[in-house]
Amino acid sequence: MFWRILWRLLYASRGRLALAILAVASGAAVCAALLNVDLDATDKLTREFRALGANVVVSATQNGDAAGTMDANLIGQISDLHLPDVVAAAPYLYLSANAKAGENNSGVIVAGTLFDEVARMNSWWKVDGLWVASRDDRTQCMIGELAASRLGLTPGKSVTVTYAGRAVTLQVRGIVTTGSSEDSQIFVVLPVAQELSGLGDRITLIQIMARGSAAEIQGVIHRLSTALPAAQVRPLRQIAEAEGQLLARIRGLLAGTVGLILVLTALGVLAAMAGLAVERRRDVGLMKALGGPVRRIMRFFLAEATAIAFTGGIAGCLVGMALSEWIGERIFSVSISPRLIVIPATLALMIVVSLAGALPLRLLGRVRPAEILRGE
Amino acid sequence: MMAALVQVEDLSKIYGGVRALDKVSFEVYPGEWIAIMGPSGSGKTTLINILGGLDRPTSGRALVDGVNVGTLGERELTRYRAEKVGFVFQNFHLVPYLSALENVMLAQYFHSIADEKEAAQALERVGLGDRLDHLPGELSGGEQQRVALARALINHPNLLLADEPTGNLDEANEQMVLEILRELHGSGHTILLVTHSQEIGRMADRRIELAHGRLVHIVANVS
Amino acid sequence: MFVRLITDSFRRQARRKLLTTAALALGTAIATATLTVALDVGDRLAREFRSLGANLVVTPEADTLPLEIGGVDYRPVDSGVFLSESDLGKLKTIFWRNNIIGFAPFLDVPVTALVGSSRADSGRLRTTLIGTWYRHDVAVPGGGTFATGISATNPGWKLNGRWFSDNSAEAVAGANLARRAGIHTGDSVTVQTEGASSQLVVTGIISTGGQEDDAILAPLTVAQALAHKPGDYRRLLVSALTKPEDAFSQRNPKSMSPEEFDRWYCSPYISSISRQIQEQFPGVNVRAIRQVAEGEGQILSRVQSLMWLVTFAALLAAALAVAATAGTTVLERTGEVALMKALGARQRLVGAFFLGEQWFMAIVGGVLGYTAGLGLAHALGQRIFGIAPGARLILLPVVLALAAAVATIGSLLPLRKIMKLDPAPVLRGE
Repeated sequence: MFWRILWRLLYASRGRLALAILAVASGAAVCAALLNVDLDATDKLTREFRALGANVVVSATQNGDAAGTMDANLIGQISDLHLPDVVAAAPYLYLSANAKAGENNSGVIVAGTLFDEVARMNSWWKVDGLWVASRDDRTQCMIGELAASRLGLTPGKSVTVTYAGRAVTLQVRGIVTTGSSEDSQIFVVLPVAQELSGLGDRITLIQIMARGSAAEIQGVIHRLSTALPAAQVRPLRQIAEAEGQLLARIRGLLAGTVGLILVLTALGVLAAMAGLAVERRRDVGLMKALGGPVRRIMRFFLAEATAIAFTGGIAGCLVGMALSEWIGERIFSVSISPRLIVIPATLALMIVVSLAGALPLRLLGRVRPAEILRGE
Repeated sequence: MMAALVQVEDLSKIYGGVRALDKVSFEVYPGEWIAIMGPSGSGKTTLINILGGLDRPTSGRALVDGVNVGTLGERELTRYRAEKVGFVFQNFHLVPYLSALENVMLAQYFHSIADEKEAAQALERVGLGDRLDHLPGELSGGEQQRVALARALINHPNLLLADEPTGNLDEANEQMVLEILRELHGSGHTILLVTHSQEIGRMADRRIELAHGRLVHIVANVS
Repeated sequence: MFVRLITDSFRRQARRKLLTTAALALGTAIATATLTVALDVGDRLAREFRSLGANLVVTPEADTLPLEIGGVDYRPVDSGVFLSESDLGKLKTIFWRNNIIGFAPFLDVPVTALVGSSRADSGRLRTTLIGTWYRHDVAVPGGGTFATGISATNPGWKLNGRWFSDNSAEAVAGANLARRAGIHTGDSVTVQTEGASSQLVVTGIISTGGQEDDAILAPLTVAQALAHKPGDYRRLLVSALTKPEDAFSQRNPKSMSPEEFDRWYCSPYISSISRQIQEQFPGVNVRAIRQVAEGEGQILSRVQSLMWLVTFAALLAAALAVAATAGTTVLERTGEVALMKALGARQRLVGAFFLGEQWFMAIVGGVLGYTAGLGLAHALGQRIFGIAPGARLILLPVVLALAAAVATIGSLLPLRKIMKLDPAPVLRGE
């Protein structure tokens, strides 16, 4: 009979119940999201070398003379390793060549590369025009801002590049601005640079963008060094290193505001429970008049508060953890995995909040039947 | 001579300076039907609420089946309400989201254990055997009051209290409910009924008339 | 009469009103604090961002293109265009001079290096000598000096040992070069170009993760002597405190009206600072180092996104609390509403009355919340950034509008119920 009555009770106030559950769920979601982000991401945020560009470079071992070139099959060797942390690997072949466009003439560094890898690595490059679409496009090139201005080039114009007697004419697809050495280079597809160089299937270096914490990137470097004994593998320090430290400071701010939001949630739960209590006053008065002992009557409301806490808590937890993954991905570009400890922690908090908020229901115990029933 | 079931001695109730009941004394014997009458504000509802354990007297005694209701502790008062009296209200006061059957079972639940069969039988006896699963909102006023009656009697109380039970009913339903009350009286139940209707008052064995909280007189009806 | 009704209602339902006002106040306080941080964080973090490295690079416009492979510039040193270091003081005279944290001129010279004299088998290495300032006093036109160099532009560089002193015969070797050539702190290295040579004592080994690891860093004067270019440099890195770029700053200045131009010029955007540098140094090309700017932009947008999220969460929680209380109010005040309707009040008037109550609480709660929020922002700003944010008055109307919106949205369903309430059954006593 207890469950029968409880069910009828819950169903009768389903609107207000839903509101109470929603209040608990929203608090639980905020809690779970923050806890999960905090537990899982802090590591990543404070120590991860998140790349704006390459953070590892593979180059030929230097013998003290001018930087040599390496066999291009190293590219295949790296991709065969199927390292999950390697997001992009762009090979480069550099030539000190000559470029001519109309009246303008200049020495320039030509960089042969694979544009799809470069685009993945350097999406932050400012490009006036378009990227070269495919790694096989032998007719187009991209030019750094300084080189373009020196040669008087804009997207659509042509430039002729010569090296050791060989020449190739290319159309400018886009102009790159980085504020760094790329601004003085001409980018072509790797086969074109290799043909110009006359050296065969060679490359100067491979830039790699790896994801993960400092330790994980060290791991990538280690694996690459072992797999490629003929090459030199070194880290490139990344700008984003400092970011983690800054974000760690924001944590305090977040924790504080989330604490306040929890207080606000408790107010909401309190308000919802108060609504439930008002709705129940008449029924409680009646039950007392029928000889219902206070304890037995209160059991219903305790069950109700618990149901609210658990339903809202679990729903909120799940939403919160999904939210934390979204936050990690969209805001921090870090993948966050659910940490199971978040569930019991959040549930415990929600139970505390619900019990506190259930105070109005406890006050129902003091209802005097005559007063209620007299209202006629 | 049978012992009185109800003994009220100098019962008084004061609400913030107002004397709702002023030294009322009377007795009720088992099987009697007493009508408590008087103009509004005379203290009828107060009196019946005290006897029903819904209110406490300021002074005086109210003995029901030997128990002084006024001195009962909270828990004992709860037991008293469950065991000794059955209450029927003018506004029915059924739980709106419980069916007729469940409303009766609720009273059983608070007394001891809910018994669906017994509750069904009680409802059949008041002619609602085919309305067991209806919600109060789906029942007419008369039907609701009959459910309330079944509820009031399910735990076999010593005393049946009714506060203007037909006040919110139309003529036809009023007659139906009064008929049930007559049957109950006939089978030996003790009934205390508050009313302002002279006609209903004449159906009782005796009429207790109150005015301004005081007992004015007790009249025996000639049957 | 209206006022009387309202004060009456507040007195009778004090607890409900208090709860609603408290919820709105708390939600507003959180929103004020987070919005203040979001608006200010760019300025707060500007100084922190300088540790990311220089954000501007200045090169002579007419110069030939650098021919750099693996950090070695193959351009012949005697051709090309150079800039004069004596002009550098002018950087501290531009409009945003106080935002110029530091700058460092660079002159790269291809050299052959010989380590020590006793290690015959180490041979000669071809490498680059990067001449620059570590900490150098620059005379500022109008009086005074300004100490600057890579100590200001690249504070993140990690050094084992100590930096060279200005105008000395000292140098710092890049970690890779040191490893290859067996250079240690205290060693003597002889660097040579055609027609000049210099003997330098290595005072430290540096690791930057960039091309410096394969080079030798030395005082600018050493490089100038080796290249026969006294007083010249070829590249300048500048570290400036900037305001984050927004839609306004990215517009072409030529398309701006005079007032807009003034506003842009007088804000420390990286674009306006670049422009001001260009004005002082005709014939140079000033570019933003995009990797740094992007990094800053990313950090800022991340913090701001988080702040928006928190604001939204707070307002949602407040809305739920308002909704719950308003729902209870409907239960408790049906009699009052029925009476008003029975007395002839139309649906809209009844609705307006209750909405008016909600808005009143929104304003009171909003003002309280704004004040508390400022205090909160102050405390948080002090703790986290070391500087308390200034109160942004513009936030007050924004926050009040948000409070009113929350109060309205929260009360929507209960309000509908009130407006649609049928007075008859209520007045009958059912």
